[in-house]
Amino acid sequence: MKIIPLQSRTLALLGVVLPLLALFVYVALRSGPLAPVAVTVSTVEARPISPSLFGVGTVEARFTYRIGPTFAGRVKKLDVHVGYRVQAGQLLGEMDPIDLDDRIYAQEAALKRAEAALREAQARQAYAQSQAKRYEQLLAARTTSEETVDTKKQDLKIANAALAAAKEELVRVRADGAAVVAQRNNMRLVSPVDGLVVARNADPGSTVVAGQSVVDVIDPQSLWIHVRFDQISATGLAAGLRARIALRSRNGQSLKGRVLRVEPLADAVTEEILAKIVFDDLPDPLPPIGELAEVTVSLPELPAMPVVSNAAIREVEDQLGMWHVQDEGLRFVAVKLGTGDLDGQVQILDGVDIGDRVVVYSEKALSKRSRLHIVEQLPRVAK
Amino acid sequence: MISLAGRDILNAWGKFVFTGIGLGLLIGVTLTMAGVYRGMVDDGKALLDNSGADLWVVQQDTLGPYAESSSINDDLYRSILAMPGVAEAANVTYLTMQVRQGRRDVRAMVVGVVAGSPGKPGWPPYLVAGRQITRSHYEAVADIAAGFRLGERIQVRRNHYTVVGLTRRMVSSSGDPMVFIPLKDAQEAQFLKDNDAVLQQRRRTAENPSLNRPGVPGLLDAVIASQSNNPYVNAVLVRIRPGYSAEEIARPIRRWQRLTAYTRSQMEEILIGKLIATSSKQIGMFLVILAIVSAAIVAFIIYTLTMDKIREIAVLKLIGTRNRTIAAMIMQQAIALGVIGFVVGKITATFAAPLFPKYVLLMPLDTVAGFFAVLMICVLASLIAIRMALKVDPAEAIGG
Amino acid sequence: MGKGILIEGVGKRYGTGDTAVDALKSVNMHVAPGEVVGLIGPSGSGKTTLLKCLGAVIEPTAGRMVLGDQVIYDKGWRIPDLRALRRDRIGFVFQAPYLIPFLDVTDNVALLPMLAGVPNAEARKRANELLKALDIEHRARAMPSQLSGGEQQRVAIARGLVNRPPVILADEPTAPLDSERALTVIRILNDMARRFETAVIVVTHDEKIIPTFKRIYHIRDGVTHEEAGEGRAFQ
Repeated sequence: MKIIPLQSRTLALLGVVLPLLALFVYVALRSGPLAPVAVTVSTVEARPISPSLFGVGTVEARFTYRIGPTFAGRVKKLDVHVGYRVQAGQLLGEMDPIDLDDRIYAQEAALKRAEAALREAQARQAYAQSQAKRYEQLLAARTTSEETVDTKKQDLKIANAALAAAKEELVRVRADGAAVVAQRNNMRLVSPVDGLVVARNADPGSTVVAGQSVVDVIDPQSLWIHVRFDQISATGLAAGLRARIALRSRNGQSLKGRVLRVEPLADAVTEEILAKIVFDDLPDPLPPIGELAEVTVSLPELPAMPVVSNAAIREVEDQLGMWHVQDEGLRFVAVKLGTGDLDGQVQILDGVDIGDRVVVYSEKALSKRSRLHIVEQLPRVAK
Repeated sequence: MISLAGRDILNAWGKFVFTGIGLGLLIGVTLTMAGVYRGMVDDGKALLDNSGADLWVVQQDTLGPYAESSSINDDLYRSILAMPGVAEAANVTYLTMQVRQGRRDVRAMVVGVVAGSPGKPGWPPYLVAGRQITRSHYEAVADIAAGFRLGERIQVRRNHYTVVGLTRRMVSSSGDPMVFIPLKDAQEAQFLKDNDAVLQQRRRTAENPSLNRPGVPGLLDAVIASQSNNPYVNAVLVRIRPGYSAEEIARPIRRWQRLTAYTRSQMEEILIGKLIATSSKQIGMFLVILAIVSAAIVAFIIYTLTMDKIREIAVLKLIGTRNRTIAAMIMQQAIALGVIGFVVGKITATFAAPLFPKYVLLMPLDTVAGFFAVLMICVLASLIAIRMALKVDPAEAIGG
Repeated sequence: MGKGILIEGVGKRYGTGDTAVDALKSVNMHVAPGEVVGLIGPSGSGKTTLLKCLGAVIEPTAGRMVLGDQVIYDKGWRIPDLRALRRDRIGFVFQAPYLIPFLDVTDNVALLPMLAGVPNAEARKRANELLKALDIEHRARAMPSQLSGGEQQRVAIARGLVNRPPVILADEPTAPLDSERALTVIRILNDMARRFETAVIVVTHDEKIIPTFKRIYHIRDGVTHEEAGEGRAFQ
């Protein structure tokens, strides 16, 4: 006979205890090491990939003209500022000549004095010549002594020499004057090219040493990008390849360019290969020199090959490979990787075939004995 | 014979189950606390597992990249790579810092990994979404615990990185999520702190007359350039060819390269023995206290339940019930309470574990041990009540 | 069973020496099987102490007790297992019914045979027979808390009787009841005493029921005096 008053009580108790037990069993099986590992799998497909290389670099000018005086001095005036466009031959500024003008005046006076000295020597030589001629005639008429004639001839030779000296002195003084004038002209800072002033390193009044740059002028048409590619991922980098350039200040805007040359010298310390990229069309406004640029160089598209996401690649016991999902379970297969593209697709040269199912994402590291729970998307991964 | 304990429980099951649930919550807290401890240890182990290394080469006489800062030149790996028995050697940097995403700020361990392909030491060994890093700059793979999403732009120091992949259980020994970025960026991030700092350093350099000589144009630029690169990494992760022992490789590195090298077991010793030793002791203490509190509460509950029945026990004794029967009744109730509490506790702990900010690892062995501990505690706690019940004088039922 | 219960010169002394108190001095009673006697006395007269001695929960210090044909006390217990004695040979009916709240009526009654090792089904059968006899069979599945006071007391009587003990000790069994129910309880006790050949001692000071006893023991200062009761018949 059944206990009627206890029945509802028993039912209520079961109503509490059974769900609790069910929950307990669920909890014991679905968490901890007994729980299956959630994974996603994908099928190896043959697909062409277009690999590319990625590097960062800075915008640089191919030619930079550092204009400055050839000897130490003080800047007198500087007419141009950063950003000015200048023409070839344009006067950009001047150094302070200090006493150069006075020395030019002194040279001019010295020149006149040399000219006067020359005229005096000419006059003396003309007189000495006429004296010498007259005394020769007198000697022919036997009206003078031979000794006197010799004296006059000597006088003439001395006057000739004095004249020559005066002539050379004039040349010297003239050359001296020209030198000072040339020096004076060198005080002028003149642009050698049509270009853009990018730096003004000194202001009027400041003293600069010989060789120090006062104004930097670049040729804007010669902007290029000095890019560094990590050596390990620079396979196939060559001149002429197409490149996309993203400037740091123009996020999201992609500019076109090409590889001008790959530097024959690589950076041994940073393990990078250096290359120069030129713009197809110079952006307007010009990017500032030194701006960071990200460059993606496209390599030629490769024919279709088995391809898989690089997220599937695992390292197990010093071997690169992937987890192959088979009917009887998981198997780790070592693979040989080919080229990859920047979207993470990697060619598989050997190891798995088209149509094989491999684990891409997993909640934790897998082992041969892992129980799998194959899902579309792993939990807690928001798209 | 009918089960007196069962009948009593059935009669007052509401009170009983709710007491059990209350106790269960307490047991849940205890189990979770054990899980927190296991989680801490596991965080340390996960850190070592995920680095994929057999040997850690660090600055001489330092405790490795995790427990202490270490700085070695970034070209040292070449000479290690050349040693026989070394399969792979890769530079790595670890730096715990704030990673910004929009307005959010996440404390993360930024790991600089060498360029190349997945599977290199230091790379995240598996992903849960996205892809591995392919560009040698400005890409990041983040642990899902950091809360970043695929395609988001995050800021580490001066640069922005695109999150291209997500991984899981990649944490530092203190449980901070890891963010993997290319090594060169990480080196720069370690050194070039922010624009202000860079500017200040330049200014200081420029003000130093011996570095900024008027007579030597270009010297300042050269000095600044040499100041703004960072040829240092924190450690070299070494993977060893099969057939060689880690110690065999470590010995010449210590002797001839003048560096310190740790094997996996030494590293574990450092992480678990030194880094989290005090925290784990702290949690251990807490665990002990919780166990004592639980025991006290079970004892109290059983005691109260027995006190409520003192009259019935007197009657039972008067009408000739054996002590054994009465003791069994009390102990069975205590054990039933313990079982309900344990089941509730285990469920609570399992569902509460993912809510914790740090990893909570509930080990099945701990659970089994916990079950027996709960039973032990219940049995011990019921002894007090049994003792009291046995002292009840059956004469009390007569006349009062 | 035969002889019912015989008590000769039972005394109980608490303490020793100068502070010794004699709660019972000399109790002499005899109750025949099927007889119901009253035991009355003022408070502090030793009623409860006597009941405890009879119920084998405290030990007397003097005298002799014979239950049925077995000497259970003669200057010391003669029975090794007092619990079994209480379980099998003495029925208790208390002032309050003291039913076990978590057992239903049947199991409350069946518990005693079960404790004695009778199989559950057999014990329940016995219990149900008794409940039927006590006319409370319809509440067999109820829990004690669902019963009225009179019903509870009837169940308590059933429990007292279930092991067919030679003696039933009833301690103020009618105290919480009104006179009609009180008389009913006494009637039942009388019926059952006759039916099961049980000696029944009813400790009471309930004026309503005193006239029903044929024999009454007065206890005063630890000494019993026998007198004849009115033995009023029941309506």
